[in-house]
Amino acid sequence: MTVPDWLNDFLWTYQNLINALGVNGLLALSMYVVLAVGQLSLGQAAFMGLGAYSSALMTVQLHLPFPLVLPLSCVIPVLFALIIGGPTLRLTGVYLAIATIGLGEVLRAVYLNIDLLGGPMGLNGIPESAETWMIYALLATATALLWVVGKSRVGRAMEAMREDETAAQVMGVNLWRYRLGALVASAALAGLAGCLNAHVSDFIGPNEYGFEPAVTILSYALLGGIGTPLAPVLGAWVLTLLPELLRGISDIRLVINGLIIVVAVLFLPAGLFPWRLRRG
Amino acid sequence: MLSQQLVNGVLLGAVYALFALGFTLMFGVLKVINLTYGFYFTAGAYIALALADYGLWLALPLAAVGSGVAAVVVDALLLTRLRRTGAPELASLMVTLGAVLALNAAMTAWLGPDIRRFPPSMIPATAFALGDTRVTAAQILIFVATIVLVGALLSLIRLTRLGLAIRALASRPDAAGLMGINPARTAAIVSFLSGGLAGAGGVLIALSSNAIQPYMGEEMLLRGFVVIIVGGLGDIRGALIAGLLLGMVETLTAGYIASELKDAVGFLILVLVLWTRPLGLFGRAIIRRA
Amino acid sequence: MKPLITLAVALALMVGTARAETDIAIGAVEILTGPASAYGIAIRQGFELALDDVNKAGVLGGRKLHLFVEDSAGNKDQAINAARLLIGRDKVVALLGPTLSTEIFAVGPVVNARHIPEIGTSTTATGVTDIGPYIFSTALREADVIPVAIAAAAARGAKNIAILYANDDAFSKSGFDVMKAAAEQHGMKVLATEGFATKDTDFAAQLTKIKALKPDAVGVSALVEPVSGVLLQARQLGFGPETIFIGGNGSNSPKLGEIAGTAADGLLVGTPWAAAKPDPKNQAFVAAYREKYGKEPDQFAAQAYETMFLLAQAIDHSGDATPDHIRDALTKVSHDGILGPFTFNASRSPASTSGVVVLVVKGGKFTVQ
Repeated sequence: MTVPDWLNDFLWTYQNLINALGVNGLLALSMYVVLAVGQLSLGQAAFMGLGAYSSALMTVQLHLPFPLVLPLSCVIPVLFALIIGGPTLRLTGVYLAIATIGLGEVLRAVYLNIDLLGGPMGLNGIPESAETWMIYALLATATALLWVVGKSRVGRAMEAMREDETAAQVMGVNLWRYRLGALVASAALAGLAGCLNAHVSDFIGPNEYGFEPAVTILSYALLGGIGTPLAPVLGAWVLTLLPELLRGISDIRLVINGLIIVVAVLFLPAGLFPWRLRRG
Repeated sequence: MLSQQLVNGVLLGAVYALFALGFTLMFGVLKVINLTYGFYFTAGAYIALALADYGLWLALPLAAVGSGVAAVVVDALLLTRLRRTGAPELASLMVTLGAVLALNAAMTAWLGPDIRRFPPSMIPATAFALGDTRVTAAQILIFVATIVLVGALLSLIRLTRLGLAIRALASRPDAAGLMGINPARTAAIVSFLSGGLAGAGGVLIALSSNAIQPYMGEEMLLRGFVVIIVGGLGDIRGALIAGLLLGMVETLTAGYIASELKDAVGFLILVLVLWTRPLGLFGRAIIRRA
Repeated sequence: MKPLITLAVALALMVGTARAETDIAIGAVEILTGPASAYGIAIRQGFELALDDVNKAGVLGGRKLHLFVEDSAGNKDQAINAARLLIGRDKVVALLGPTLSTEIFAVGPVVNARHIPEIGTSTTATGVTDIGPYIFSTALREADVIPVAIAAAAARGAKNIAILYANDDAFSKSGFDVMKAAAEQHGMKVLATEGFATKDTDFAAQLTKIKALKPDAVGVSALVEPVSGVLLQARQLGFGPETIFIGGNGSNSPKLGEIAGTAADGLLVGTPWAAAKPDPKNQAFVAAYREKYGKEPDQFAAQAYETMFLLAQAIDHSGDATPDHIRDALTKVSHDGILGPFTFNASRSPASTSGVVVLVVKGGKFTVQ
């Protein structure tokens, strides 16, 4: 059975959007894992950049095959998370957020000034080795995994940390281990997202991994909520589709985007999808 | 060249400190990362631009008042609800982020994205030269204004009843209410002061940089973070010193190491300070961390 | 009576839809919102002004061109989505834009793979047309324009140069590379290269460093806002008329005079187009633009305007308005307009650089040298 023309056209027209929904879903999950332990780390965009650049170099310079590049794209972000985790995870709340943003800006300066990474021109000509099904397979797997973890003892410990860290500690939760684990998981997910994004859009540049993208990723989780792993993904989908749906009124598009965030935070503090994981 | 670079550093630092004053006040007292602060900064510059025909000494205070009023209104709309429900800190971050996105876009749609400048008649373009070192009138104005405002703010906080109320609100908001201080009114006054400082900063800095555009507040915000963290949240004197420090370090890095690193060095300092002394270099933040 | 009315209505409807059906769909992706929207809006205005003219006679026997415009907001993802919408949903036979070189590197491969011809009107980075055989550029590369200004500086006696550039923007960095190479080619010694961020407003550190080296010339490669800021601060720090300032492509905008005023006096800029060019076609364009939009056109609007005529000619010569034939017709297009005589060379970039002139700023306005 051949695919009808109108479907082909539809899929081609929205291919980038469909890919972006998947990639942003992964980024939302990367935000979820740190928020789930009560940690406001905003390093996802930075980790994404590390994953994107390292995987792009692996493909373009080292000519490694993509099935190898994809898992390897987690390596540098995770290493970075382990290195900075020590001093950074001692911070909490707003301080942690600002520290991770600062690190992201330092990394951006690095990308801008190293010729091998293309400087401000970025890297182009990255082959389109990633396909839509890969993105969604990873997204589904990650969501399912996190769901299972959330319903387990680990999930309970994470929720305890989120509600009251001191009490959790008293109950025997090793705060340090969970925090670092969450950061590493966040780095891995964001790194994968970066690799996939680089390999579906041919081109990456340093300005895609700075302050504004970091805040956008945060807004996915804040809009969707963090009761379940699915909530931030749905939040990501809403916020990714919004600029496209509002194309007709381009002038006030950003205004509406901003207003939606305001309304959501003010009136839906648990997010759009507040259901929580039920635990046995 | 060194003398000029040192002067450059101090003047740039004064700009950063001026911007940070209202920001640290807002953060330190109301515990809010108020991203709309960047908008009040920009609004001040545009208000003064509209009033430019009346001369600087009328436009500046009117712009400050205008920004202050805007701040009270917007903050009330956005933040009272969050304060009442005891929402987490990041809720205030998010709501002000959404608000500033909407406000900046609305301003761009209304006023256009083009960059503008104050009419040259607003401030004499004269540069004063002392040997090899040159300074403009606008830069001196910023420096003086920063010192004056710092002094005024410190006096307000230390010596007046209002200042006492502000400090009470900052350290023990629940207790403050019990002590007969009206927290809502005090918070509104802090909003007004913070917005007014932002607006005044916007006018003065735009006078010097000749760049008024709807996104000018955003550029300053990131530097603002550096200054208020390094100086300590809510620490007025800290903001001044940290601002000057940042300006000096950036200028000397650009002048003697590599100009490409000028923008990154601030963030490097930010991260290092957070790793080692998160309460700021002076550890005197009004509120405790965490 | 009733059947007559029904017939009349049916005929009217047929004619109405028939006219719409013969319209040829073309698309443009430009930055219409956000900080860089000034460029995208100027480009769209250039397109629309030209379309008014083109559609008077139409193409291929009276068919009109219908321009669909989508906003990229300067965002890579949205640019790609915009291009896909125009091609997949609106079925455009040719695409114009996007505004930034970084955007065309992301969008170009997609459009090229789909065999739709694309013309960048403002994308001046090197390597744009290498993306594929369907990608064209009517924007003269920096490499074609900047050396002319450098040569003018050398002719005025400049033996050395310091170069300032925005190191976080592909366009400015590309211009900087060209400036440096051209300076060296003309025997000028490059005394220093200093970077800044596009959104910076304080350049005192870099300018002070440069001033101490006493260069004959100072090159500035950046968008017009930082260039204006640099010039203003340079005068404040004591740079006088004895130092020759040279601007890259970004300086060629009426905003330079608006923001920097007389601080910009003496700046040399190479350009393939200037509002001051006296030929009657150009003056007619400037007047028409001013009348329709209430402001002076800049280089972006001018290049967009010309490109629309080139595209119209190619569609006309294609015989059937299909993308492949339009692409082939584009390679052979030839037009003498406000950019001078224009044809594409073998790599689908402008063939001739003979129209490049050097402008000098006097009294805050550009004049031909």
